[in-house]
Amino acid sequence: MSQNSDLLTLRSVSKSYGKVPVLHDIDLSIRDGEFLTVLGPSGSGKTTVLRLIGGLEPLTSGEIRLDGNDISRMPINRRPFNTVFQDYALFPHMTVAGNVGYGLSVRHIKRKEIASRVAKALELVQLARFADRFPAQLSGGQRQRVALARALICQPRLILLDEPLAALDLELRRQMQEFLKSIQREIKTTFLFVTHDQEEAIGMADRICVMQAGHIRQLGTPHELYYRPNCEFVARFFGENNLVAGKLGRVQGEQRSIETALGRLVCSVSGQPGLKAAPDGASAFAAFRPEALRLAEARDGDNRFAGSIAELAFAGSSTIATITAGAEGVAQRLRLRMPSRIDGSALKSGETVSLSFAPNEGHLVLA
Amino acid sequence: MSTLPRASTIFLAAITTLVAALLYSPLFVPIVSSFFPLSQGNVDWSSPTFSTYVSLAENHDILAALGTTLIVGLCTVVLSVVSGTLLALYYHGRRAGRSFLQFIIFLPFLMPPIISGLALLIFFREIGLERSLLTVVIGHTVFVLAIVYRTVLTRLQSMSRTLVEASYDLGATGWQTFWRVILPNLSSAMVGGAILAFALSFDETMITILVTGTQSTLPVRLWAMMRLGFSPDINALVALILMFTVLLCVLAARFLIPRQVATERS
Repeated sequence: MSQNSDLLTLRSVSKSYGKVPVLHDIDLSIRDGEFLTVLGPSGSGKTTVLRLIGGLEPLTSGEIRLDGNDISRMPINRRPFNTVFQDYALFPHMTVAGNVGYGLSVRHIKRKEIASRVAKALELVQLARFADRFPAQLSGGQRQRVALARALICQPRLILLDEPLAALDLELRRQMQEFLKSIQREIKTTFLFVTHDQEEAIGMADRICVMQAGHIRQLGTPHELYYRPNCEFVARFFGENNLVAGKLGRVQGEQRSIETALGRLVCSVSGQPGLKAAPDGASAFAAFRPEALRLAEARDGDNRFAGSIAELAFAGSSTIATITAGAEGVAQRLRLRMPSRIDGSALKSGETVSLSFAPNEGHLVLA
Repeated sequence: MSTLPRASTIFLAAITTLVAALLYSPLFVPIVSSFFPLSQGNVDWSSPTFSTYVSLAENHDILAALGTTLIVGLCTVVLSVVSGTLLALYYHGRRAGRSFLQFIIFLPFLMPPIISGLALLIFFREIGLERSLLTVVIGHTVFVLAIVYRTVLTRLQSMSRTLVEASYDLGATGWQTFWRVILPNLSSAMVGGAILAFALSFDETMITILVTGTQSTLPVRLWAMMRLGFSPDINALVALILMFTVLLCVLAARFLIPRQVATERS
């Protein structure tokens, strides 16, 4: 992607509340038209990033550029962004139509035009029948859609969503995820979506920005983050993972070995120059997904080790085994996931088996 | 929860009824007796009549006092609602000096009225302000300000901060946010506070006696009538004031119950 497709750029942005720093030197570019999710545990500073962009809080240092122009000091009501708040923040004394039209009426747009644009926005979020209701008469999912219609009616360059699905139950959340994604495709507006739910992030985002303790840990597509995490935090936070500590060994082409409690493991370092260049003996982790781990076959050369099955859990479409591997004292707990079969699992609890994973399905992260 | 044995339930019900009757029946005595004439110091129960109310309506002193009470009440409401709301808005979200200010605002409400009244009287004398309806209005405003301030502040505190943020976020100016988001959300609290303020001003006696000039309000008039002797008019007047006050309190309660609860029920 070229530089000029960037809509918004944060440059070494920091934020402190009093003496407590919450963001450290954040650099982030948001591309025009993308669905970018900021993912992090609570206290990671993800909501603060959104509030700084929206203008709800002043920066401590750094700058925010929109189309290359510094908007760090632009007042909130002049920024071409709109927010969907976590509690929706619908005005309780106004009808649905009044709420949705608010952004237009404060700009003194003619009543006729407001009415037609409100009707169109409500059509888009499938709430046309509810124009005269009050927020208190709506369900959670409906309020959510009113908040979205209210945010997008001003045709903002960027829509900021602050954990908007957190208050909904699971089924509704799934529906709203699809709905949000389809609306984003339809209106072709950039979405910045903040969440702590990594499943939500994988399902909706074009790119994900993982934050922890006020730092951006990794920015990439869901696929990149899942298969090539660049640090221990992302490897552990983003999906289930097996991490085995060890010391880096030799580089062989696009692979590198690591000495661990399970013996020598070989993992891919393709596209990770940092790991290729790290010195021999550096502390690192071998990381491989539960679905990459499997029973060893005769042709497997690398990454073979024995483990005993401590527990078997049937989880519908898949069966998850908890495995203890390695010598006593340095034993590792690993997880193995495989498709369930009607005639029962190939594994038995208490059994000792030979396990393996393909070198290109394992990767390394520095400790 | 387990239910109590039947006998103790009956016993509790009896006690509750007795206490309620003892506490509240005196309130009904003037209402009931206002419909019966008085002869030689005794209530004549044989012939119910509206004569006390008729003679009350013909009593020009009473009517004038009623007019005065209404004028004082309305002025007090306007002054206290405007200043109470402004104070609440100013001190909402500000820590510095708030508890001190609240202490000052609540002092006249909590002090014995005679102390508040005397303090005001001395103050008006010192600054050379002649006693009149103006001094009564000032006295009442000082007295009821705490109620309005507290009512509005409570509503402000229960209002989500994101409402104001959302308004700005959608492009509104500070002024638009105030008129179109903050004020409409405070209005029912302000009306409720106003009704309570009016009810308090309507009944206020002690401060009024001390700071009023030649004109008297209804309770003060009542006080004066009592000193001259018990007349049947008094029953009627007490009954009317009682009913009016109850009506105001019911109204105030309606406005102070949050809107959501009311609409969700429908």
